[in-house]
Amino acid sequence: MSVAELKERHKVATETVNSLRERLKQKRVQLLDTDVAGYARAQGRTLVTFGPTDLVCCRTLQGHTGKVYSLDWTPEKNRIVSVSQDGRFIVWNALTSQKTHAIKLPCAWVMTCAFAPNGQSVACGGLDSVCSIFNLNSPVDRDGNLPVSRMLSGHKGYVSSCQYVPDEDAHLITGSGDQTCVLWDITTGLRTSVFGGEFQSGHTADVLSVSINGSNSRMFISGSCDSTARLWDTRVASRAVHTYNGHEGDVNAVKFFPDGNRFGTGSDDGTCRLFDIRTGHELQVYYQQSGINEIPHVTSIAFSISGRLLIAGYSNGDCYVWDTLLAQVVLNLGQLQNSHEGRITCLGVSADGSALCTGSWDTNLKIWAFGGIRRVT
Amino acid sequence: MAKVGTSFPLGEDNPAQYSFALEYEGPPVSRDLPRAVPINLKQIPVAAVVAQVSVAEKLSLPVVQPIVATDHLANKLSKELTAADSTVSPTSVIENSRETASKELDSASEIAVSPVASGIASGPRGGAKSSGELGSSGALEFSDGNCLSGELSDVVSTAHGLESSLISLEHSRELFNGAQSCSTIEFCDSFGKSGGSSQAFRVSNVGKESIDLDGSNRLDWVSSGSVLSLECPSSPKTGDCSESNNDVRRNPVVTFHDDELDGGLEEEFSRDEQEVRVRRQPQIKGKKGSCYRCFKGNRFTEKEVCLVCDAKYCSNCVLRAMGSMPEGRKCVSCIGFPIDESKRTNLGKCSRMLKRLLNDLEVRQIMKAEKLCEANQLPSEYLCVNGKPLCPEELLMLQTCLSPPKKLKPGNYWYDKVSGLWGKEGEKPSQIISPHLHVGGPIMQNASNGNTQVFINGREITKVELRMLQLAGVQCAGNPHFWVNEDGSYQEEGQKNTKGYIWGKAGTKLLCAFLSLPVPSKSSGSYAEQSNSLLGRSVPDYVGQRMLQKILLVGYSGSGTSTIFKQVKLLYDAVPFSAEERENLKLTIQGNVYTYLGILLEGRERFEEECLSHMRKNRSSGGNGHIENHEEKSIYSIGPRLKAFSDWLLKTMVSGNLEAIFPAATREYAPLVEELWNDPAMQATYSRKNELEMLPTIANYFLERAVDILRLDYDPSDLDILYSEGVISSNGLACVDFSFPQSAPDDYTDSMDHHDSLLRYQLIRVNARGLGENCKWLDMFEDVGLVTFCVALSDYDKYTPDANGSLTNNMIQSRRFFESIVAHPTFDQMDFLLMLTKFDLFEEKIEQVPLTECEWFDDFHPLVSRHHSNSRSNSINYSPTLGQLGFHYVAVKFKRLYASLTGRNLYVSLVKGLEPDSVDAGLKYAREILKWDEERVNFSLSEYSMYSMEGSS
Repeated sequence: MSVAELKERHKVATETVNSLRERLKQKRVQLLDTDVAGYARAQGRTLVTFGPTDLVCCRTLQGHTGKVYSLDWTPEKNRIVSVSQDGRFIVWNALTSQKTHAIKLPCAWVMTCAFAPNGQSVACGGLDSVCSIFNLNSPVDRDGNLPVSRMLSGHKGYVSSCQYVPDEDAHLITGSGDQTCVLWDITTGLRTSVFGGEFQSGHTADVLSVSINGSNSRMFISGSCDSTARLWDTRVASRAVHTYNGHEGDVNAVKFFPDGNRFGTGSDDGTCRLFDIRTGHELQVYYQQSGINEIPHVTSIAFSISGRLLIAGYSNGDCYVWDTLLAQVVLNLGQLQNSHEGRITCLGVSADGSALCTGSWDTNLKIWAFGGIRRVT
Repeated sequence: MAKVGTSFPLGEDNPAQYSFALEYEGPPVSRDLPRAVPINLKQIPVAAVVAQVSVAEKLSLPVVQPIVATDHLANKLSKELTAADSTVSPTSVIENSRETASKELDSASEIAVSPVASGIASGPRGGAKSSGELGSSGALEFSDGNCLSGELSDVVSTAHGLESSLISLEHSRELFNGAQSCSTIEFCDSFGKSGGSSQAFRVSNVGKESIDLDGSNRLDWVSSGSVLSLECPSSPKTGDCSESNNDVRRNPVVTFHDDELDGGLEEEFSRDEQEVRVRRQPQIKGKKGSCYRCFKGNRFTEKEVCLVCDAKYCSNCVLRAMGSMPEGRKCVSCIGFPIDESKRTNLGKCSRMLKRLLNDLEVRQIMKAEKLCEANQLPSEYLCVNGKPLCPEELLMLQTCLSPPKKLKPGNYWYDKVSGLWGKEGEKPSQIISPHLHVGGPIMQNASNGNTQVFINGREITKVELRMLQLAGVQCAGNPHFWVNEDGSYQEEGQKNTKGYIWGKAGTKLLCAFLSLPVPSKSSGSYAEQSNSLLGRSVPDYVGQRMLQKILLVGYSGSGTSTIFKQVKLLYDAVPFSAEERENLKLTIQGNVYTYLGILLEGRERFEEECLSHMRKNRSSGGNGHIENHEEKSIYSIGPRLKAFSDWLLKTMVSGNLEAIFPAATREYAPLVEELWNDPAMQATYSRKNELEMLPTIANYFLERAVDILRLDYDPSDLDILYSEGVISSNGLACVDFSFPQSAPDDYTDSMDHHDSLLRYQLIRVNARGLGENCKWLDMFEDVGLVTFCVALSDYDKYTPDANGSLTNNMIQSRRFFESIVAHPTFDQMDFLLMLTKFDLFEEKIEQVPLTECEWFDDFHPLVSRHHSNSRSNSINYSPTLGQLGFHYVAVKFKRLYASLTGRNLYVSLVKGLEPDSVDAGLKYAREILKWDEERVNFSLSEYSMYSMEGSS
């Protein structure tokens, strides 16, 4: 088959795909004969709406002296770990807003941090291409530094993202600038499996974010600079289960939906998208026309515990709270009067869903929680 | 400020879903509706603020101009206000509050005694002056007040002259908003600073831009506000995001003011509590000992005190009022301000209350922050040494010296630089600190106010000292002038010989203790010792941050960044590589040599093959003798034992686990390698090394010494480390802290040089790959002072496949990378230093391969005299070599490129990574750029352009 012939067939195939997409879109519009309000009324229930008091800033965690790059909540207790450009990680008590640990990292250029499920150790990764594990219970040395209890080295690029496998303190998944994701065994410090890479069908650019399915911890999703998200099964390292296209820019953030059947993405193209892992479809696009020619990038996303709200931080300092169902902006946390002064770089919802924590370039973290009373009938 | 009203469109678009102004349809409310609290005019605490104006003394307070019409104007305003209010049904809290406030204003202007009142009243006319007054009346938080009142005056000036009653209503509402926040700051320190100022902004915005919108919406707000307060009575936070709520929260129900901190989480806030507080509020004036935030408690309740403003909080409020305490026990609004000096002794001493409220770890963090954060350090200008206030560097020197003065408090001190004696001005010496520190001025004769006419180092000593000297056996007859050194040796002025040691005898020390005079501490060593140890000392974190200059070293792969990095480590680091690192280095180098050997062996097989086939061809064509064929074959062929080794090595290399076989391989194969290397076949292959593309040029260096290197007891030399590849992990990031060694320890006449010893530099090396494709993480390096970009000059004829797989010239790829970094928004105002490396290779290469090989350099037409090779020896008629010309040409190319991208000048330096002096010179140049960068502000623009780097082009 000649190249010309192939090109011709490719062209035809592309056209077919596009027409099918168009038909799909039409079909969806056609089927969409109800909205949430109407449906709720038909069911005799009151529609849950969102008001400006649904999220108010109730704590400001001050203590970092550089841009905050990443944060993570413990599964239980109200503790937060955050890392910043000042080369420290700080463990906060979210209720009292006090620090319990402020530890200087061996490498100051840190991008990501994660709390272990048992809340006893913290993982940090960054430009040194190493994921370092700190045991919070180990004694500090003379200078007040905590020794690194385990170095997970093997990545050939920066460690952009890390997450502990839920309920397993010994396993961790990292995403890296070397286009791979790695499942680590922390007790041995060795790679259990490598996802992607040179000889495998993996990402073709830097992996920026990973998220593990909360209900099935064998599945995880990764977002990459190749503007795709990929679904992986930790048992099958050789190839991705599915590749999700649609974004037109680097996928900066991926996050599983609380039910584990969907996941959200945030990208440099200014959109967030919701994908279904069972059908492989894109369910929703969240995009707010800002009017200015510069499209703000989505830096980080998080879902509320019910999944009804999608919180997305943007590079221009906005932080939209989206209604996941209606794809409408409920709130803009970035424009509340006591909000951050810089761009919001990281977001996290506490395990019980009662609070949202945001970290920003203005060196502060803020905790947002429901500020009013709602009667659900 | 586009913040106002952005949350509104939502509600308007889709009122059914998002409007919070819904009419209340729920079941009948069981609670009481909030009722207007009757206000007693006399209890409104407006005028009382004056009592606290102590802080304001620091400000040069603008004097309020006596304006005759003041009272009249204010009265008019407030009348208008009340009139406008009456049009709205006064049922809700907001209305109530508005009335309250207007009365507040009313009463204030009527009484017209307090600065607040006069400030407000004169606001419309007085402009900035009155606003200053207003700000200072805030007393506790004057920055807040200033900001707010600045806005206020702004609004006032824009609104000034408009006669419409609407405007004036708006206007006066703002006024009392301002006044209120000013007056309430006093009770309510938790009121966030940012919150305050942004509110001020908002207020001003209302006035400036959306006046009519405001007016039309007024009724809606009121109703929505009241609905909200009905709907969620227990929530003090009726919303941060809408201006209506903003107005709601400005009413004088005190609890609303700390919303910034508390937010909605605290459901424990109930309506009645708020009532209680409203009632309590006026009373706190009389009650001195109550909590500043909840106004409960009395003098005997345990309270925590703010280190800055002396506000006291009870255990219920302290966490809310002080937030996360990034600088220790300070109100949120006081963060960043220097502490009250009288409280310095309390720094880091935890109270029982905090220990009870927080866990041990948290308390420890707070105390650490309190002691170590920069804002809480002793301000250097409070310290006078020998009559001269210190600068921060001097204070730092004082604090970080080997035996620093104990318990430094603000005040005047004298310091005898020669002997290290230290004391309070007008008093006898209290301590002997490190001598020869450059702090303060020269010591004065009457520093310790002595009257004995005996002098030590130019200071008239006190009676107690004289007594000690006499008892120590020093001859003091005839009012001698002594010259005492730090070790206690003394001589009379103008004489050479040492007369003895003051502290030499054991009895003297006892005596000193008895007379409470200082004796030298053991640790105080000589000056040279000190300056050395200074570098190794751990300075406080905040100092470290200030004193650390970061230099980013980037370059396309193969541009010699790692060599420069290693060179810096070897140059400036006392211990460049630890024993463990050296062991790793050894393994890496040995591994590399095995790889090179493998490449050679591979080449050998190829050559043997070629040779054999050539032979066969020859034989078939010519049909030569069998013996000759055998001989020919043996040039590249090796014995079976070596063959086995070669096969094994190639196999492990192909399978890619060369690292895994170490260090076992070294033990086993070291002798074999020697044999292999000496084998003529290997030597023959090595002589054809130019045909092996895989073999890097560096390999020659190692292969020549392969036998030595592959020994078990091999210890890599510095040069080996410099030459070796892959020593610094090529994918990650490496950084090294260093400081330039002091040229000579005795040239401390120049104080600038002395500070340099404290200045530390950090070289951060990142390679192109580590940064990611689109430099996504470059913003992490925004705090670097200088970006050093390396380009290998010898790259101009090399081609490697780029991201798309097409073969691209390395120089072009370097340029592309350079462009992307220079254009990156993070490095908007960054200085760039271009280091052109591998000049030695370049010089060789340019003689053989023209520079025009690279398309970017196609207009390189050097004017080279034909005799350039021997003109080098002729120093008079010196003409540059082709290599130098090429270097200048490339430098100019990059300079032009940089100038076209940024409009600024690019600094260029030529560096040979393998020569320590060259790297040292390059980094010193970088240091000069950094220094120049700091001083540039002092020069005018014209001078700057004159100074620009034309020399190197």
